[in-house]
Amino acid sequence: MFAKGLGATMRRELSRWGSRRVYLWGMVIIPLTVAFFFLNLMEEGLPTKVPTAIVDLDNSSMSRTLTQSLGSTELIDIKEHATSYHEAMAMVRSGKIYGFFLIPREFEAHALAGRTPTLTYYSNMTYFVPGTLSFKGFKTMAVLTSGKVVETSLTGRGISEEIAGTLLQPVVVDVHPLGNPWTNYSIYLCNSFIPGLLELMIFLLTCFAICGEIKHGTSRGWLATAHGSVTTAIIGKLLPQTIVFTMIGWFFDALLFKYFHFPCGHPGNMLIAMPLFVIACQSFALIVCSAIPNLRLALSACCLMGILAFSIAGFSFPVENMYGAIGIFSYILPVRWYFLIYIDQALNGIDLYYSRYFYVALIMFVLGACAIAWRLKKRCLNPVYVP
Amino acid sequence: MCLSDMLKKIKYWTLDVARVMRRELNLSLTDVGVLLFFIFLPLVYPLVYTLIYNPEVAREIPVAVVDDCRSAQSREFVRMTDATEAIHIIGYATDMAEARRWKDAKDCYGILYIPHDYSRSLGRGEQANVTFYSDMSLLLRYRSMLMSMTNLQLAAGAKIRTETISSLGMSGTSMSGSPVENVSFMLGDTEQGFASFVIPGIIILILQQSMLLGITLLGGTSYERRLRNGGIDPLGIRTSASASVIGRMLCYVFIYLPITIYVLHFVPIFFSLPHIGSPLQYFPFVFPMLIATAFFGMTVEIIVKEREMSFMVVVFTSVVFLFLSGLTWPRYAMSKLWLALGDLIPATWGMEGFIRINSNNATIYDNTHCYLMMWALAVIYFFTAIFVTRYRDMRFRVYGH
Repeated sequence: MFAKGLGATMRRELSRWGSRRVYLWGMVIIPLTVAFFFLNLMEEGLPTKVPTAIVDLDNSSMSRTLTQSLGSTELIDIKEHATSYHEAMAMVRSGKIYGFFLIPREFEAHALAGRTPTLTYYSNMTYFVPGTLSFKGFKTMAVLTSGKVVETSLTGRGISEEIAGTLLQPVVVDVHPLGNPWTNYSIYLCNSFIPGLLELMIFLLTCFAICGEIKHGTSRGWLATAHGSVTTAIIGKLLPQTIVFTMIGWFFDALLFKYFHFPCGHPGNMLIAMPLFVIACQSFALIVCSAIPNLRLALSACCLMGILAFSIAGFSFPVENMYGAIGIFSYILPVRWYFLIYIDQALNGIDLYYSRYFYVALIMFVLGACAIAWRLKKRCLNPVYVP
Repeated sequence: MCLSDMLKKIKYWTLDVARVMRRELNLSLTDVGVLLFFIFLPLVYPLVYTLIYNPEVAREIPVAVVDDCRSAQSREFVRMTDATEAIHIIGYATDMAEARRWKDAKDCYGILYIPHDYSRSLGRGEQANVTFYSDMSLLLRYRSMLMSMTNLQLAAGAKIRTETISSLGMSGTSMSGSPVENVSFMLGDTEQGFASFVIPGIIILILQQSMLLGITLLGGTSYERRLRNGGIDPLGIRTSASASVIGRMLCYVFIYLPITIYVLHFVPIFFSLPHIGSPLQYFPFVFPMLIATAFFGMTVEIIVKEREMSFMVVVFTSVVFLFLSGLTWPRYAMSKLWLALGDLIPATWGMEGFIRINSNNATIYDNTHCYLMMWALAVIYFFTAIFVTRYRDMRFRVYGH
């Protein structure tokens, strides 16, 4: 009985896919296109060569050397030579440059005479990435310049070069970025934003498939095909989507970890996480649909959460640092758990033991859906469309 | 005679525009779904987003210490680390294995390792090495810890250098301190806070996306009505495409004027975000963006044939438009294809210009390029909107017969 109803519902669902283009677009074309967009956009990994300007008020041999060394660093691209602070500032305001480096008048003379001149550099932090990178490049160069002057004056006083070199940097902190030593933005953003997008599309299509039946008044037929069992009806309707989305998800895994060689410690565990993630997302949307069985409202709620997920799931700003009352909402989203699994199993490649609760959390979404989905039956039998 | 004819035509056309605008206002303000997008979304979303990011910086990130040196100097270094803004030392692990277990269990996000010869190297006047392992799951966390450790390295170095030089029997500020000072200034977002960086851009995108959602929802609803009524929208005004498109645009811009003031002026004030630009600069600046967005929405309508399809069409683009605008990945590093695509989105220019006006105190004149691009988009999308309106009418006329 169950198998028969399930088969019939699935066949009915597949025939609906044929008549509505939204399924093809939502399940395949949009996820693939946007994933391609992300991966292609950030292919370089790090947007080096930040457009900047130099304001050289000294025009000495030392300041020219400084300018040349600055221009030859990886991070900085000296696009403009400004003649004054105001000119450089105007360039920042018009967006031509993201920062500038200012060498004061009489810099060389003061430095060699020990009168402590000041190098100043300005980074436009309204754009975080170029701002930070230009800051890093400027700072390195300023510190190196200062070091060179120290070394010259120390050796001039008869201290051996060896000791002078040590004195420049008596303590060195080696910072090792674990798992992403290149500070590659693509690794960091694609691994969170692509699953986030997948979640959004699963939310939308689940709502569309379930509440669409109620909107168009076909929900009675849907339930009848499943021999009156709402469980069979839901499984039959969502299972084909589960399969397609899991395939797409695995394709993304292959793309990220195989083709682009993003770090992945335990590929097997990531492959297991994908179907669980898909089902958790469907369950989340199912809970919303059961609570508010109206196509527009359910879609509104799901979009609201699906879009907020990119911020609240802590992809860029750590959940631990959010206000407690806000951060707690990150845990009602499947993508937060998937993201935690990704960090442990792919990026850091640690033992499955540490991620056990994250897998359990994904399964809990299904239990939540089981607890509430019965409500759909009444609505399916009396479909009322509220625009 | 000819002139009066023309005047008459202009008069009727203007009246039509007014009628369309009034009808569209009526439709918008009586539809709960549209109100949700036009009013609720721009009122609430900026607040929600700012609340998420308002703690601004990642402070006191838990870090474990593995101290193989166990000397006064190593303990001092750990104390200095703990005193930085970004790092909070949670405790000493006996060895790297234990520290790793702490990191795996997410009790800490960084490990500071001090080798056994740390104080001996310092005493001998050799370079002392300290290793810091950082978790890379979030770049913001890494960035905070890296900046703290870099500053610490410079501060500790300067301190030790002073001590060594005076122990060598030499004096003079030129060597003990730094012979060349360096001072950095952060422009726009002086505290390097995350909300201060991201919210000025996001609020512009919210304006555009909420307007697109509302317009496509209205368009989809009208399409459904036409399907039910033999190709004629009983609630629509039958007039020329240009009058209809301009009337609708005026309606949306009219609704959005007070909302724009709230979003661009008051939201940054509520949360003390960077807000140094002049209102006389940024309100006129975003005006063409509203017009361009209205026409853009009427163009996108071509693929919305059902009320609820507006979600499918518009929602996912928010993420794409965010990236195309260059807020996260700068536009100078984009390929030609994505640059061109970003050029076509009104919010790309709106965000770029508004951020500079709002946070860097720029003027419209500084952002002439952005400003003109938005007007250009307004003109382009005006014609595409007319095309879409005519195309729809034509299709329905064919079906009607």
